[in-house]
Amino acid sequence: MTRPFILSASVAEPAFAVPGHARAVLQAAEAAGFDLLMLGRSGERPFDAQVLVAWAAPMTSTLGVVATVPASKAHPFHVARALSAVDFLAAGRTGWSVVPEGAPAGMAEDMVGAARALWDGWGSDTLILDKESGRYLDASKVKASNYKGAFFKVAGPVNAMRPPLGHPLLVVDGDDPIAIDDADIALVSDGTAAPQATRRLIKVGADADAAMLTERFEAREIDGAHFTLSDALAELPQIGARLASLLAPRPAGDLRARLGLPIPSTASNQPGGAVIPEIA
Amino acid sequence: MMQNQIHLWAFLQGIGFFPTGWKHERARPEGVFHMDYYTRVAQLAEQGRFDAIVFGDQLQSRGAGGRAPERLAMPTLDPVTLLTAMAAVTKHIGLVATVSTTYNTAEMLAERFGTMERITGGRSGWNIVTTAHPDTAPNFGETELPPKDARYRNAVEVVARACELWAEMDREGPQLPQGRPVLVQAGQSPDGRDFAARTAEAIFCPAATIQAGVDFRTDLRSRVAGVGRSPDGVRIMPGLSCVLGGTEEEARAEHTAILDLADDALAIEYLSESLCCDLTGFDPLGQIPVDEILAKTLLPQGDVARSIVPGAEKGTPLGEFAANFMRHPRGHNVFIGTPEQMADMMIEWRDAGACDGFTLQPSYMPGGLEDFVGQVVPILQARGRLRTDYPGTTLRETLGLPAREAVTA
Repeated sequence: MTRPFILSASVAEPAFAVPGHARAVLQAAEAAGFDLLMLGRSGERPFDAQVLVAWAAPMTSTLGVVATVPASKAHPFHVARALSAVDFLAAGRTGWSVVPEGAPAGMAEDMVGAARALWDGWGSDTLILDKESGRYLDASKVKASNYKGAFFKVAGPVNAMRPPLGHPLLVVDGDDPIAIDDADIALVSDGTAAPQATRRLIKVGADADAAMLTERFEAREIDGAHFTLSDALAELPQIGARLASLLAPRPAGDLRARLGLPIPSTASNQPGGAVIPEIA
Repeated sequence: MMQNQIHLWAFLQGIGFFPTGWKHERARPEGVFHMDYYTRVAQLAEQGRFDAIVFGDQLQSRGAGGRAPERLAMPTLDPVTLLTAMAAVTKHIGLVATVSTTYNTAEMLAERFGTMERITGGRSGWNIVTTAHPDTAPNFGETELPPKDARYRNAVEVVARACELWAEMDREGPQLPQGRPVLVQAGQSPDGRDFAARTAEAIFCPAATIQAGVDFRTDLRSRVAGVGRSPDGVRIMPGLSCVLGGTEEEARAEHTAILDLADDALAIEYLSESLCCDLTGFDPLGQIPVDEILAKTLLPQGDVARSIVPGAEKGTPLGEFAANFMRHPRGHNVFIGTPEQMADMMIEWRDAGACDGFTLQPSYMPGGLEDFVGQVVPILQARGRLRTDYPGTTLRETLGLPAREAVTA
């Protein structure tokens, strides 16, 4: 398949918590062909991004919505539930980025490990939903994770299913990195050590040069670009227009299918996401 | 202003009030995993001019003794997430999320609800609960729940701190449209009622009879007045489920049909969950295993003994006991009859001072909500007891309260 140039941006404007502005930004991001919109950044989270991605889910249809999650001001049991729900409502378009923001060393990684364990406590094929036989689900597919980390001890099972994506896309920011070597996406700056990840997006400002990005993408130095926005409404359409030639059509399907990003085999005990049986 | 207006809240947890509801031909058990279902039911509730939609919450997966039920609808989706997404597809209806003070910090709660309050344009509410289920503690690195009095003391502190944080957020901007989310409570014990009287702007309660409703509302209003608040600033909203039919006979037949969707295995899973003890390995035709239940249950033994010993002494087989247990939900008002009779009943309760309105728990979803909105709402509106339009945009306005909570210094 064609290797997609992944187009991503982050917004951290307080006004994004106000519905009129947020709606306009989401529409602009989707119209400009963005694959990912990250809500908040390390040290700049003027809102609870997990709430805003829920609101964004029915407002969008192709955009991947990424919630920044502060490692020291959240609990993996709550995070696993919230993001599972968002991923169902967004039909598999959810991402998350755990930001240490000065949390004790290891806490962000523990958050990732605990949430992954909770999502893995549910099999992809747990649901049966058969009114005739009366079986709603297969109880043998629901397991307590009994996760024990240095910061979080979470027995499970969590009362939220494995998300449609299996795990939401995990995004790591190289400027506030975490020691996870099987993230889906790393946001990297030139001249800094890049975290391990399946795809690397170069962090750029709104005025980044399209020719430079094309050249580095074709040289396989990068898999896309991540724009740090300060005035999202003005900048999103400009970026979309400037990079239009880089953006090939995406295959249909959830965010992992669109971007060709299967769950890293080291990240989960199963390859797929939750399947909802069709009911006649 | 209409006289004795009836407020309506929609409790849309899961796939309906009855444990068998998901098996009903008009239930959509797959729907609860798709946005289009939530869009449909949120818009339906708004069309019915409900004040608010409410989702309950738990901090443990359903089941007993480490076994997930196979025949009960689960899991539940996170309520703040669901309700915030529903806000994106509605304009007026309030969105009340149940969240525990036991395993959340005031800072986490303030940020979560503060964001919800802003993005919903002032339609957020917080149903404040404390966590009492013994399976919850291990999900948060604990072995035991805090004792009950400590849970309530903590709740008081967490709510007070969250209110301070909202006042700060409101000052810093963007403004919180209502000043803070509407505070809702459902305490039943004397401690819980006192907490509700000091804190809540709306209160849920079970009330199986009109007299139970009058007693509860009278008691709560006097407690509210006792702490210097106006009793008219608090809406008392008892739960109400219903099974409707074109005639009373049809409604009764439908009620029986819903209950008959249960088999022994489903009833025993339901009983297992209620008793916190896995009974699925026992013979439905055998005796109630009283000793095993009392040895294994995680609930207070005295409470469990009171509910099972009388049946065991009569020699009721386990399956039959479980079926009866499920068919008689204690303390809940389940109306069975025609839409006209239901409207009459609701108006009678309201006029008798048994409630300010009702928290509707549809028997199964979405069919039960469709029936109520299509058949009962027009009657209440024709009789001048239910609004035909919303008075404003915020939940507080919808509840008939001042648009913004006065910020106290």
